[in-house]
Amino acid sequence: MVESFDRKRLAPLKDTVAVVGVGETDYGADYRGSGGKAVAKGEARYDSYTLASRALKRALDDAGLNKDEIDGLCTGPTLSGERASELWGLNPRWSGSGDAAQCIIEAAMAINCGLCTTVALVYGNAQRSMDTAYGGARVTGGGITSYFYYAPWGMTSQGALYALFFQRHKLLYGTTDEQLGSIAVAFRKHACMNPNAVMQKPLSLDDYMKAPYVAEPLRLFDYCLINDGGVAIILRRADMAKALKHPPVMVSGFGWSEENVDATQLRPRLKDFYHTAHRGVAAQVYPMAGVTPRDVDVFATYDSFSVHLLASLEGFGFCKEGEGGAFVQNGRIEIGGELPCNTSGGMLSESYMQSWNHQPELVRQLRGGLGARQVQGAAVAQYVHDVAGKCKSIIYTRGG
Amino acid sequence: MATARPIRSMDPYAEQFWAFTQKKELRLQQCSDCSKFRWPPGPTCDKCLSDAFEWAAIAGRGKVLSWTTFRRKYFEEYPAPHTAFVLELDEGPLFVSYPVDLDPADLREGMVVSLRWTDGEDKFGSYNLPVFGPPSP
Repeated sequence: MVESFDRKRLAPLKDTVAVVGVGETDYGADYRGSGGKAVAKGEARYDSYTLASRALKRALDDAGLNKDEIDGLCTGPTLSGERASELWGLNPRWSGSGDAAQCIIEAAMAINCGLCTTVALVYGNAQRSMDTAYGGARVTGGGITSYFYYAPWGMTSQGALYALFFQRHKLLYGTTDEQLGSIAVAFRKHACMNPNAVMQKPLSLDDYMKAPYVAEPLRLFDYCLINDGGVAIILRRADMAKALKHPPVMVSGFGWSEENVDATQLRPRLKDFYHTAHRGVAAQVYPMAGVTPRDVDVFATYDSFSVHLLASLEGFGFCKEGEGGAFVQNGRIEIGGELPCNTSGGMLSESYMQSWNHQPELVRQLRGGLGARQVQGAAVAQYVHDVAGKCKSIIYTRGG
Repeated sequence: MATARPIRSMDPYAEQFWAFTQKKELRLQQCSDCSKFRWPPGPTCDKCLSDAFEWAAIAGRGKVLSWTTFRRKYFEEYPAPHTAFVLELDEGPLFVSYPVDLDPADLREGMVVSLRWTDGEDKFGSYNLPVFGPPSP
């Protein structure tokens, strides 16, 4: 395919926007409630707006900014931007919505176009309290046909779609269950170093292998949590990002590429492992940031299922296609290893915030001072977002 | 009485697809301009954007690409364990179905399977559900 993006236009956007504030709710407390036990599904506690509001206040405090300095707003699911603005007394000049990476890219573009200077990106989700279903008869369709089209054959759930993906990976490359298990084990190890993570109980490979299958070959610990929480991120024009509470973290690169043709019949998922989308994003994000995969000190990927990590490591060139299983073993993706991945515990073990939670973690890794969880000398952090082939990536670097 | 199944997603194209199954015919839309087969049913050809098509009968043969066994019940109509698989049809599209007359433990990559029918019923009525098993001798 002809390169349809213009490097000359993308490259000057490097380091023009900075992250100046991050905040999130107390995931563990939101999950366990005051009695210390897990809040029952369907037992409503706080709504999405309450959770999002708390995160926003923390992110503003973290930045040392007043809410009146916000002139742009991006809201993630399940919030309405209109209602959120009213609730927080904001009249943004520019507003947008989407997933975390999409909001970061769109906000960076809006800031660069001069539409606004300081954007709050806010997410809140009471999905556990609301008893949100990701499979079966109660699942809501949304725009993804494959989510519900195959119900008459008993085929449903995002997890099962990734089970088909992993089964195919096993068939083609001989990837083993133990290799996949290394991912859940590493992320849990990281969660145990993160006081804000929901899951604090160590997980061994043996525990992983003994856990029941949900959609075979995926087991319980290959699945992300379903919990309530909120996350907020404050982005600001780089020249206005100095002399705040923390040194700025620069948005140094981004990329966006989707793989939707024949998606509902699962072709890009099972025949390509979404690598075409990964390669499309890699061709943008690395040259823009002026780095290569070798320069990445800390990595995070969307991990609604453990399998996502195999796909993104292979697709972004950290290893060859089919070699993801070997790559994730022997502590290589753990803190202290050569490519620490999902160092907060990710959505498998920290909090299922549909990837919003990965951004504060990467920002804090670059700020430094995370104690045992700190990736020593972290200067380049990459986030990869790949939800069913709609792929984006952000590269953050340490600002001056 | 036909076997209860989880509800089908219906639109005018899906209605036509299921109407053919009443006669135990597995037909997919084939673009009248560029001949590409498409599935699931829909209004346009994603290759050439033509909205001209015919419901073409297909051979009903495919190769196993991947599968999953549900160990947790998601639908009342499908108690666990339930195995679903994805086939690559001879005509090109991938097709989700489930194996019959075949032990899931015997599934292999690239295994050839062929069309069978079983019954189904939901609030839209009774119909025949295309499923796949070992090729007839």
